[in-house]
Amino acid sequence: MYNFIEHVNGSEPEAVEDEAKYAQFMERIENGEKIEADDWMPEEYRQTLIKLISMHGISEIMGALPEKEWVPKAPTLYRKLGIMAKVQDEMGHGQLLLRVAEDLMAPYGRSREDLMMDLLSGDLKFHNVFHMETRTWADAGVIGWLVDGAAIISQTNMLDASYGPYQRALQRICAEEVFHAQHGEAIVMALAEGTPEQKAMLQEAVDRWWPSLLMFFGPGSAETTGSSKQEVTTKYKIRKSSNEELRQAFLDKYLPRVFSLGLTIPDDTLRYDEEKEQWEYEQPDWNEFKQIIKNNGPRSAERLRLRELAYENNRWVRRALSNEPVVQA
Amino acid sequence: MTSIDTVEALLENNEALQAAKTFLFQLADDDYITSFRGSEWLGLAPHIEEDVAFSSITQNTMGHAVLVYQTLEALGEAEADKLAHARPAGERLSSVYLEKPNGPGTYLDEPHYDWALAVIRLYLYETWKKIRLQTAARGSIRPVAAAAEKILMEQPYHLAHWKMWAVQLLDSTPEAKERLEERIAEAWREAGDMISFGGHGQTFLENGVTADSEEALQLRWLEEVRSVLPAPAELPLKEAGDGRRKEHGSDLDQALKTCSEVFTSDREAVW
Amino acid sequence: MTEENRNGSSFYQVYEVFSKKSASASFQLQFSLLAPNEEMAMMMAQENFMRREKVVDIWVVRRDHIRGMNPEEREMWTNRLDNKEYRTTKGYGYLRRKWREKEQDMLDEKEILSWKEVKKG
Ligand SMILES: [Fe+2]
Ligand SMILES: [Fe+2]
Repeated sequence: MYNFIEHVNGSEPEAVEDEAKYAQFMERIENGEKIEADDWMPEEYRQTLIKLISMHGISEIMGALPEKEWVPKAPTLYRKLGIMAKVQDEMGHGQLLLRVAEDLMAPYGRSREDLMMDLLSGDLKFHNVFHMETRTWADAGVIGWLVDGAAIISQTNMLDASYGPYQRALQRICAEEVFHAQHGEAIVMALAEGTPEQKAMLQEAVDRWWPSLLMFFGPGSAETTGSSKQEVTTKYKIRKSSNEELRQAFLDKYLPRVFSLGLTIPDDTLRYDEEKEQWEYEQPDWNEFKQIIKNNGPRSAERLRLRELAYENNRWVRRALSNEPVVQA
Repeated sequence: MTSIDTVEALLENNEALQAAKTFLFQLADDDYITSFRGSEWLGLAPHIEEDVAFSSITQNTMGHAVLVYQTLEALGEAEADKLAHARPAGERLSSVYLEKPNGPGTYLDEPHYDWALAVIRLYLYETWKKIRLQTAARGSIRPVAAAAEKILMEQPYHLAHWKMWAVQLLDSTPEAKERLEERIAEAWREAGDMISFGGHGQTFLENGVTADSEEALQLRWLEEVRSVLPAPAELPLKEAGDGRRKEHGSDLDQALKTCSEVFTSDREAVW
Repeated sequence: MTEENRNGSSFYQVYEVFSKKSASASFQLQFSLLAPNEEMAMMMAQENFMRREKVVDIWVVRRDHIRGMNPEEREMWTNRLDNKEYRTTKGYGYLRRKWREKEQDMLDEKEILSWKEVKKG
């Protein structure tokens, strides 16, 4: 769902926009050329990118929080170091992506400050998985393994994105994701090969995360929630595949690994249809999904509160070092 | 004083061994609690860029604790993971000033963390850490000096980082200056144990763990930090306790409970 | 008029030149040149450094607008201990054997970057 967009402000491409420029722009995209921040671009393209990348970026920042809950508690020195580096990388991904979004927003006079305000007001949404609880150490493993796995599927899908700055950020991000995948698998492997309690802890976490993982890629078609605009991103060659294609790819790559560890999936209807060459599974509750991304998920309020506190409590630092003279209220 | 060049030679000399171990425990326990407090900050720093930078320093500091715990392991103590996770508060030598929470609340619930505390505490600590590592590096116990030299390789930019924050904030708004000065005053009431060897200064010197006397090192620290901060001319007091003498408060209990929670749920398991 | 300007010496300003080889590449430092202003520096950069190679973009930056490290900073700040396997794939190499036991492959860089292409549904 890093590439799932709820709705795009700019509505339809404005016919009044210079048609010749638009045609030329589309030709560049068709030829596989990269668009840069100061190139001419249709309003719809800019709006789509801002929506997509600011949500992607802020999800990385918010995504650091569930895992961070286990950073000080990690059970060995090596795991403490590993998970600290992993969560730091996620903050770093947020930094790269927000910079890309901020440059796109600059023509509207909007900046980092506005993104933070939008997050706190609920206008800027973050990814469904990061609204969920992390109850045990196994959650730290399952996030690194499967949530990052799902994120890798959707992010690698945009490695050829038409927007140059985004594509270059994704190259850096995906290179780091290789470590994330292995870090998550290392935690999970130790639990899967561990004591009966450790195995149970792992299975419980997988069971709990399963619906969120299916939701990760967004609904299969616009009818499901009436709001998906995935085709805009494929039209502009930002992403290549549909939500369902990505979900199927995730299941293809990860289910054999899940089963090989002796784990099960809490869905009796789950099966691979040899003929259709795809996985059949029970749909998650898409109404719940809508609620979650509206900040009504199990931990939405607490996570937003952490960002709010960081924002409020450090206001004096920003004021102290901002270049403009501070106007005392 | 003859130098002790190897771990084996150090194991032969009980007095030097005990002195070396005490020095190393003080260092490792300080770094461990410092990186624990740093890890609580993750995601809450003034801006995203600082979050990423701060985390590298925190990881390095944890890496230093690991390196020193491993040195202790080689000197006959328990394995590093046990030294970090299984020792009760009453056996720890970390400074109470470093144990102090980052602010009201916990990292999970209502963390009202104070950047002024982070900046002042970490600047004061990194300055002391440099001085204490430099004297050990010039000492005559090779295994201790070697660990100190290694850490000194990457520690300078940690110190530069916190010094930059301190200098810039002190030179900014009256609001910021006031917040920092409050934390400086607090440090001068509570940080006394951080810059002390807990009564072992003479033994460290006599056994060549350090090359300088405790008093000389403290004065060096005072002079250096006063060149940057508006701080008193006397050494800080120990009003919050003396961690070097194993006198800790509930802050350390809370910290250890958190950082050992999963480890203690099954000490024999492989995690 | 300063002594420098009398001789036209301030004509010689140092500009660092950066260029990009392709849309997906990062900017790379090429070399430096002297020019009186950035317009002139940009023109000079193209023919002084790019005449033999394809570039898609160029930056010129006045050297004194760059905050670089001084020699002391380079010496003091750039060393890192060689103990960071925990944050690289090197620290998790043992997983390859474990996955093989379970008849699965390791998720290494080659594998993960190959996920760029996904089966059409
Ligand atoms: Fe990420
Ligand atoms: Fe990741």
